[in-house]
Amino acid sequence: MGDTSAARRRWMTVGVAVAAALTLAACGSSAGSGRNGSSSGTATMWIVTTGPSPANTAIQNLVSSFEKSHAGEKITLDFVENQSFKQKIQLAMGAGNAPTIFFTWGGGVLQQYIKAGDVQSLGSSPSWASSFLPSSLGAVTYNGQIYGIPVSGTQPVYFFYNKAIFSQYHLTFPTTWDGLLSTIATLKSHGIAPISLANGDQWPGLMYLEYLTDRIGGPTVAQDLQANKANAWSNPAVTQALTDIQDLVKAGAFETGYDSVHFSGSGSDALVYSGKAAMQLMGDWDIGSILGSDQSFVTGGNLGMAPFPTISGGAGNPSDLAGNTASYVAISSKATATQKKIAEDFFADALSSTNYAKAEVAAGEVPVSTGAASLFRGQSLASYDTTIYSSVQSAPSFQYSWDQAMTPQVANVMLTNLAQIFELSETPARFVSTLNSQAASGS
Amino acid sequence: MTAPAVQGARTTPAAAQPSRRGGGRDRRRGHRVADLAGVGPPMLLFCLFIIVPMIVAMVLSFVRWNGLGTPHWAGGSNWAQFFRDPVARTSLVVTLKVVGLSYVVQTPISIALGLFIAGRQRYRAVYASLFVLPLLMSTAGISLMWESLLDPNFGALTSLAKSWHVAFLQQNWLGDPGLALYVLVAIIAWQFIPFHTLLYQVGRRQIPQVLYEAATLDGAGPAATFWRVTLPQLRYTMVTSGILMVVGSLTYFDIIYIMTDGGPGFTTRVLSLDMYDAAFLQDQYGYASVLAVLLGVLGIAVAVSLVRFTGFATMASQQEGAA
Repeated sequence: MGDTSAARRRWMTVGVAVAAALTLAACGSSAGSGRNGSSSGTATMWIVTTGPSPANTAIQNLVSSFEKSHAGEKITLDFVENQSFKQKIQLAMGAGNAPTIFFTWGGGVLQQYIKAGDVQSLGSSPSWASSFLPSSLGAVTYNGQIYGIPVSGTQPVYFFYNKAIFSQYHLTFPTTWDGLLSTIATLKSHGIAPISLANGDQWPGLMYLEYLTDRIGGPTVAQDLQANKANAWSNPAVTQALTDIQDLVKAGAFETGYDSVHFSGSGSDALVYSGKAAMQLMGDWDIGSILGSDQSFVTGGNLGMAPFPTISGGAGNPSDLAGNTASYVAISSKATATQKKIAEDFFADALSSTNYAKAEVAAGEVPVSTGAASLFRGQSLASYDTTIYSSVQSAPSFQYSWDQAMTPQVANVMLTNLAQIFELSETPARFVSTLNSQAASGS
Repeated sequence: MTAPAVQGARTTPAAAQPSRRGGGRDRRRGHRVADLAGVGPPMLLFCLFIIVPMIVAMVLSFVRWNGLGTPHWAGGSNWAQFFRDPVARTSLVVTLKVVGLSYVVQTPISIALGLFIAGRQRYRAVYASLFVLPLLMSTAGISLMWESLLDPNFGALTSLAKSWHVAFLQQNWLGDPGLALYVLVAIIAWQFIPFHTLLYQVGRRQIPQVLYEAATLDGAGPAATFWRVTLPQLRYTMVTSGILMVVGSLTYFDIIYIMTDGGPGFTTRVLSLDMYDAAFLQDQYGYASVLAVLLGVLGIAVAVSLVRFTGFATMASQQEGAA
């Protein structure tokens, strides 16, 4: 009998092992999170990545130094590929199986999770809130409660331009919309594509709409849109902005094939650094992106950076910014008490520390910490970083990228319809009515 | 001796059953258990991964759900939305265009190439392996390769056009609303013609040589032989290849998603892309299920009617009197 029971036990062990393996496989990297790891002192964390980068290393180092200084608290860090992340987190959330600490861009998607009760509130003013620039927490604030903490640098949008082209034709970068239009005419007469636009990706075109509505109607226009107010799209500033965009198109401001050019690969960047196009409206990641494909162009001082021009008679402040204020991490409400404690410690003691801000700067990012201004000295791109940081610091309004801030239901329809605006195959009036009805049905 | 045995095997139902009926009861039950044991697992997998998801999609098409929290019963509102949605209508038209164009473009070229490499000319094997090359490439690779070739600013085609001064080659291939769909259809054809070429090659090889000898004796020239012998004999190959083409292009997704993502405007937005956007970008799983059900029904209807109207199901011999 002893033999058989031993054999049976062995088989049971195998069975359990197989079951465990299957469970692990099924949960993927989320194993040990949520309800699975109820008694463990380990929190799990998902961070979005586009590939190996110094920023990833900075987070890895932060986690290991946190674990050293906090005995018994462990964080399992997983990097999730950017493209698949939105789907992956949506599925994990829907299944109540999210990691303890999850990456988010804030805005409308995070709001969906908050409304579904999946996100842990961090209170109206957590102890670390004062370590960050006030404008940086708007994207994770909902009904007066804060739900996330910045985990990576700020990404405002500027015009990036080829200085060589501008000096060749004795141009300075225009500060007004009319100036921009005449610069475009000059560049065009010399056979240079004035603006490089990667509208094959659709989101680059959105940056024009964001800035134009701000310059024309001020920051409240976007706030109303993002709050999904009824008929917010009917604001005359939106129509004017759409008309201005179509005027740019009609003036031949964009390169041939702008609606099939992509940002990645030999896309819109290559047009600028190869001298085929003069400028591009893009997030500040463009500096790193061009540095990666044509280092000497950046280090040789050929890459100019300028704010979006003003519009005469417009209500917006010329220092207003648009872009991604930062990206964040938040805590899953389904995590255990132990896991939440670890996560809150990690937020208060690690993510908001000056050491992490320093590591971010070293990784080429511009952190949104209050005291970061002095950290850029000696960095290779210090001049860009300092300008970006001070413009974020002094911006009266920093509107969050609409495609992130709005609910996915509205954002996607907005992007496809805006692409049609750029192709002149849709009128501003039709765009407005489509978006109004989509916003009404999506809420 | 072999011939009668084969004959007997063919006529089993009528001839062999009476003799078995007597003592075969238990044995047959035993067979049934064995049959079930054999068919069971695949049937189970089929139900689990094909039938159940289909039913779930049907149910989902009647709920409002964003993937989080509890789904709400929506009645027919998702279906009503489909009939009001101009984008869905456009997508349906684009999908039908892709299906029709794919069939019209791919079939004749595949037949021609298939017959060519079924022949016995010199270097046939070399040509054959060249033709089949696209079949070996991954779809993502094909998309990225063509995208960079057709790039309006840095593409090889644009460079060629400039250095040879051939104006018509310098087009905004993927960004011109009047052009993009045809470019995509051409690339899809480029990817799939090799497969159908192989089908036709095999089909041609199976036509008995005596038919051609008889045709020659009757004084038929090459054209008459093609129309009177080859094409009729390839009928079932055409049905098979046609079903694969039609159903395949009905749900075609990858190349379009990677290369144009439905643009410019909605000119290349096929129904499967519309479904993907609804489900994974807009989190409207209910509405996406409507599109999924629709695609499924459309695919099954087309396949069934192709089988029906061509008499494919009966599998009657085409070679009566030939052997």
